[in-house]
Formats: sequence, structure tokens, C-alpha cells
Amino acid sequence: MSILQDIKNAVRSRSIHVAYVDVGSCNGCDIEVLACLAPRYDIEQYGIYVHNNPREADVLLVIGSVTPQWVDKLRDIWDKIPEPKVAVAIGNCPISGCVYNRRGTLTEPPASKYIPIAAEVPGCPPRPTEILSAILSVAPLIFKDYEER
Amino acid sequence: MRSIIYYIREFLRPEWLKKFFFAKTAPLVTPSYFKGYPTLTDKECTGCFNCMMICPAPGGIEVLRRKDQWVPEIYPGHCIRCGLCVEACEEGVLASGRILDITRRDRTAFRSWYHLEVDDALCMRCGNCCVSCPINKQEDPQLGSSGTSSSDEVIMRIEGGRVRILHEEKCTGCKTCETHCPNSAIRVARMVEGVHEEKEVEA
Repeated sequence: MSILQDIKNAVRSRSIHVAYVDVGSCNGCDIEVLACLAPRYDIEQYGIYVHNNPREADVLLVIGSVTPQWVDKLRDIWDKIPEPKVAVAIGNCPISGCVYNRRGTLTEPPASKYIPIAAEVPGCPPRPTEILSAILSVAPLIFKDYEER
Repeated sequence: MRSIIYYIREFLRPEWLKKFFFAKTAPLVTPSYFKGYPTLTDKECTGCFNCMMICPAPGGIEVLRRKDQWVPEIYPGHCIRCGLCVEACEEGVLASGRILDITRRDRTAFRSWYHLEVDDALCMRCGNCCVSCPINKQEDPQLGSSGTSSSDEVIMRIEGGRVRILHEEKCTGCKTCETHCPNSAIRVARMVEGVHEEKEVEA
């Protein structure tokens, strides 16, 4: 059993599937996530694949301060992801609302009100290296020995 | 045929095999020119709040009183790493990346003043702003209760039934006039301008 589990762990550590959801950001963080896909940082060499489909995702990247249209839908997306799953907040927006967290704006941060957030990457926008290292450090915590827990 | 042999020979080279089977992912390094969150230097903070006033992100920086000194504190998750607080600080309490070196090299700084604006449509000429202003009181102790004054040194006074702003540059930005205005007709705005000192030309 433990050999099987070791194989599962080894495979899972090199096969992290990511979906990202923009719940009302300025697109700055989306561009930084895009930069992770580009050859400079090349997210696939670390075994992270972007599918943008919650049904086959392990990691959900939440980008943006939550706008009223997203308040009920963010939870729906989270429920569609099969276990084991983890949500990572990218940028200041899902943490604090960043520059949109002031009077007269239609945002309802933080994102942790709606779904459990395992890791937060502060920055406006965060560096691609910060996004990458956050995903790489949070994924083993959630996926390693998942069946035995 | 020759090309097939060539390829087999090429792929059996030890360097090629080593490269192919033992390929390693390059370590994830943050480039050195990335600007991080502002950090504290050993200079002493005077508590002028320039950094707090220039910060574009809500709740990005706070200057706190710790024991008997002021300490600026940066909040990740709110801070957007723009570096304006580093540039605005006259004492150089904060440092971030190359900002301090560049401002020193280019002799750039921020100049700020307070701009007073009265909305005539909202103003009902009560004179509360002129009476409540602490600088006005200092300049002209005989200031009338309706805001009229005979002194030309006051910041603002009621003249011919209207508020007239005479010396905007004396305003300290306390916003007492704003809080005493019943119609929120007067607004105090802090204006900031980047200035570039030219090198002194030797005559």
C-alpha cells in the first residue's frame, strides 16, 4: 500500500492542475499568471498545467476583488472542483480589496468569506516567481498522502 | 540511410544522453531588480506622515507610535509596492530596491501644498470656515464672527458676501474648515508635484 502511495505522491507532485477564476480584477494579476505560462517562467516545467476547467482542477487561483455578480458564483465553482482541492488567492484584491476597497466601489472582498483560501500571494500584482513558489509550496501540503488522511 | 546512421550516432553521444535523461528544472530565482516591500533603514522617523498621505492603496502603510518613537509599518496584502512612500520620505526612513539611489542621483523630490476650493453653489456664506481656521485666528485676532477681516494676511475671509481665499500657501491641512462647514462646500486637497532640482550652475 505504501509503495502505491509513494507512486501516487510522485505523480501528483508533478501533475498539478490549475484553474484560474477572475472575480473582478484589473487584469494585472491575470497578466502575471499569463507570464507564468510564457517561456520565461514556463509553469509546465514544474509540472503545473493550466486547464481552466474546475472539474479537472486541483488548484483554484482566485484573482480579483469579489464583485457582487461573483458572490454566489464563486462558491459554485469551488464546489465543482473534485477533492483534494485548494484555493490560492493571487494578488492584494482577494485578500483586502486593494485599491478597490474604498467607498463607492462595487466589491466585496475578501474572497475567504466565500471559499476557504489556503494560501495568499500578496502583491499588486505579485511576481510570477511568487505565484509559482506559492503553488509549489501549497500543493504538497494538500495532495501528499491524501488517501491516508 | 546515411542520415539515419547520422541520427543514431548523434543520439548515442554521451552528452546528449546525459542531457536528455537527466534534464533538471532551473531553480526559481527572483531577478535582483524586482522591487520588494519597503524596508526600514536605520534613520529615525519624524512622524510627518508624508508616506501615509501619498500612499495610493487603502491601508498600505501606517505610521505607529512605538514606545517613544514613530515607526512606519507596511501591510502586505494592502501595499502595492509602488514605492511612493520611499520617495516621499524626506528622512530616508524607508528603502525599496533602487529607488533611493535613483532619487539621490536625479535629485528628484516631492513638493506638496494644500489647495482650498469653495463650491459657490453649496456655500451659504456663513463664514464658519474663516472663523474656525486656527491660522486665521493667529494672523488676525480681531476676525469678525461672520468671517470678515481687515487683515490681508489671513488665509481666507468673507468679502462682499463670498469667501475669498488670499493665502493658500499658509494652510497646514488641518481640515478644521471642512469639518465646520455645514454644507461641505469647502474642500482641502493635498496637492503633490514631483520636482527636479537642477544642478547649481557656478557663476
